[in-house]
Amino acid sequence: MVLLEHVKRRLGPGVTFYCEHFHAEPGARVSLFGPSGCGKSTLLNLTTGLLRADEGVIRVDNEEIQNLSESRLDAFRGERIGFVFQTFNLLAPFTALQNVIVGMRFADVVPDKEWKARARAMLERVGLGHRMNSKPGILSVGERQRVAIARALVNEPKLIVADEPTGSLDPKTAEGVMSLLLELCEQEGVTLLLVTHDRGIAERLPQLFDCTDLVKESQS
Amino acid sequence: MSLWRIAWSYLWNRKLTTALTILSVALGVGLISAVLTLREETQRRFEEEGQAFDIVIGAKGNPLQLVLSTVYFLDAPTGNMDISIFNELKEHEDVVAAFPIGMGDTYRGYRIVGTTSDLMDFTWGDRTPYALAEGRYFEDSFEVVIGANVAEDTRLTLGSTFYGTHGFVDSPYAEVHDDHPYTVVGIMERSGSPNDRAIFCSIQDVWDVHDHCDHHHEHGAECDHRRPHDDITAALIKLASPAIRFEFKELVNRNYNAMAAIPIQEIQKLYEQLLGIAKLVLLAIGYLVVAISALSILIGLYMAILQRKRDLAIMRALGATRGEIFGAVIIEAFWVTLLGVGAGWLMGALVCAVLNQYLVAQVGFHVSAVHLTADLVAAYSAVILMGLIAGILPAWQAYRTDVARDLAEL
Repeated sequence: MVLLEHVKRRLGPGVTFYCEHFHAEPGARVSLFGPSGCGKSTLLNLTTGLLRADEGVIRVDNEEIQNLSESRLDAFRGERIGFVFQTFNLLAPFTALQNVIVGMRFADVVPDKEWKARARAMLERVGLGHRMNSKPGILSVGERQRVAIARALVNEPKLIVADEPTGSLDPKTAEGVMSLLLELCEQEGVTLLLVTHDRGIAERLPQLFDCTDLVKESQS
Repeated sequence: MSLWRIAWSYLWNRKLTTALTILSVALGVGLISAVLTLREETQRRFEEEGQAFDIVIGAKGNPLQLVLSTVYFLDAPTGNMDISIFNELKEHEDVVAAFPIGMGDTYRGYRIVGTTSDLMDFTWGDRTPYALAEGRYFEDSFEVVIGANVAEDTRLTLGSTFYGTHGFVDSPYAEVHDDHPYTVVGIMERSGSPNDRAIFCSIQDVWDVHDHCDHHHEHGAECDHRRPHDDITAALIKLASPAIRFEFKELVNRNYNAMAAIPIQEIQKLYEQLLGIAKLVLLAIGYLVVAISALSILIGLYMAILQRKRDLAIMRALGATRGEIFGAVIIEAFWVTLLGVGAGWLMGALVCAVLNQYLVAQVGFHVSAVHLTADLVAAYSAVILMGLIAGILPAWQAYRTDVARDLAEL
């Protein structure tokens, strides 16, 4: 499902990201674990095409994404990848329902007639049937992350990337959100790459990838 | 959910800033709308009224003054002309109708116009500018028919009497002809023409009032010791065809001690020369306001884009193309400009409606505030284009969103 081989990316003067090999099978749930600044998020950004690799091969769902044009990459991301961020990243002017619909609008994989019904169903699944018309500003942090999970899953992507999804949540809420995310990914058969610096969270996933040595500073 | 909806939601999310930007566009557009509408409408109405008669004849002087004083009752007459000229021209084969005009007095600022009763039957096109609302036309001495504005303003009714005041300025020091009371026998329908501001009587009455000229002005230079009925102030002429206006005008100017003027020509000259410059100045101010508004659209959107870099990055992460992000920002600029144009059009219409009251009182003209002329369409299009251009820089900024950096930085 996801394969990175000999992927190199220059991050700054004398700072380089290098991943010799990373592999995740379809339906795998992998935690990318390591301390801050070790390159976890860079690995995620390269996998999703938000960053371009300078060298190497990145294959996602049988597509070598480093060769895709920018517009094709935009479409690819919308169609096959769902994002969950640490700070939720919901769009403030829109309600929970609209935020989920926006996810479908740009991905362009679901016919627009189905947007509303599908967004409602997804919000019901994450337990927010009663908060559909609420804007992010009045939702609790846990509810916001649930909306973000609904938005990430609504297009039925092949891959979910979650960057510190519980980083802004209290332990109890974090536990609920993690359980929901893992359960939904398992139900949908979606591959999950989850970035975390929390070993407890990391160990909840079947597969753990240690990112400790991905970023190197050259001696000069 | 369309890009239009998304753009609208972001504008709605910052209502106050959006409203202020729309207001600034509206002010410029309102000014442009008012200037263009008033200019077009007043010219249209002046020209319409100017079509009623083909030629105006009066004493030599300024032709525009002659037209303004005789057709629109706005300026002082150029002087008097010998009635023999009128009598001679009236019999000319090209003249279909001719009416003498004698002026010299006013009542509370409204001009007392002496003429012959057949003028009251004059119609042109489908217009009946002298139609009565009540009463009858003047028949006997010192009977008058008054315009709708006169009736409304002075509260004169049928049977009311009043005295004329010498001259064309409503002054408490002016001489009152208190030996010749006029009686109102008719009130005209409102015609939206200068007639609404006039008081019509027999020209004989005007002569009779001024027949004691020597007595009143024995030390003055105004009286030329001629009998008043030897003179008229002007004459209104209808020709067999508008095509012979210039020829007839030349005939009069060359062969008589009088001046002929073509009303429509004088009005067009007035608008092209004098009012044309005023229009240009006001339009320039209007466009300057719009340009400043465009700058405020640019600044407002640019700041908004900086504030929502993360939102743009999220949209890009969700699959939005750079083109869609660019388009959404341009649409925001379009919304602001479009709403500004709409609000400006309303403001312009409001200004015109207010000024219409003034024009009705001062000139007798009604102007329509809701005409969408070619000039207005062109002006609105130019404003919308300016708004879209103002949106390009912020849209470009949004277009260049670095998704990974913006998601990480903020």
